[in-house]
Amino acid sequence: MRRSMEDAAMNMTPMIDVVFQLIIFFVTTADMQSKALDTKLKLAMAPHAVAEEKKDPREVLVDVGPDGRISIARTYMSPAVLRSILKKAVAESGQTLPVVIRGDARAKHEDIKGVMDACAAAGLWKVKFAALKERG
Amino acid sequence: MARERKRSDMPPADLPMTPMIDVVFQLLIYFLVTIHPKDVVANLDVFRPSPDARQEQTTTPPKMIRVTVFAEGFTINDRPVDAPELDKLLSKLASIDRNQTILIMCTASSHHEDLVRVLDLCAKSRLVNLSVVSTN
Repeated sequence: MRRSMEDAAMNMTPMIDVVFQLIIFFVTTADMQSKALDTKLKLAMAPHAVAEEKKDPREVLVDVGPDGRISIARTYMSPAVLRSILKKAVAESGQTLPVVIRGDARAKHEDIKGVMDACAAAGLWKVKFAALKERG
Repeated sequence: MARERKRSDMPPADLPMTPMIDVVFQLLIYFLVTIHPKDVVANLDVFRPSPDARQEQTTTPPKMIRVTVFAEGFTINDRPVDAPELDKLLSKLASIDRNQTILIMCTASSHHEDLVRVLDLCAKSRLVNLSVVSTN
């Protein structure tokens, strides 16, 4: 009887530590950036491509929806507006600014071309296409 | 013996364990349900010709490997191929020279998915000099 009572007197401190560790772990791993991305976008699969390891913080993410609408951080715009935005970005960061085109798999190349042309007009040559390596 | 004495010296833990464990499990279940695995995104690098050079490149230099993406399928140097055959040809080409330029031409009506598929096959064969241009 006495023995079982002693076992029940567990130390609380490690338990609370573990709980806070868990909370901190999940809060830090929660991806804040993906909230700014258009989640309805269905990227095309590229299982053989190299997964991106390090991101350039200057990177411009341009989304192209299945209907061909261009957006940056869920703000829709016309190709002409995109062009002027990219030109302003070039004036600030130079022509080495990387542009990542996140095109929906169902989008027509015509609409992707609009983004590529806007990049070319702004003098940007570092163009990448985003694709899904693995679906999470 | 010494251990037992030390234990009995400790103040009795009068905090009930049950609600604490309840909370921990609630937290665990909450995070397990809300978290969803992150998609692994890959960026496919391409070279973009400058606006002036583009005019010259569309006149198709003879030595370049040209992959054209149509809405209905692919052609390599004007020969219609399907995806597995294109994969075979590209890996054969890559075994000869990995640095040769592959010119990927996309028609306006083609789907972005197909362009990504070609880029993925090139990435699989480790071809690095990829140029994407648009045709009509």
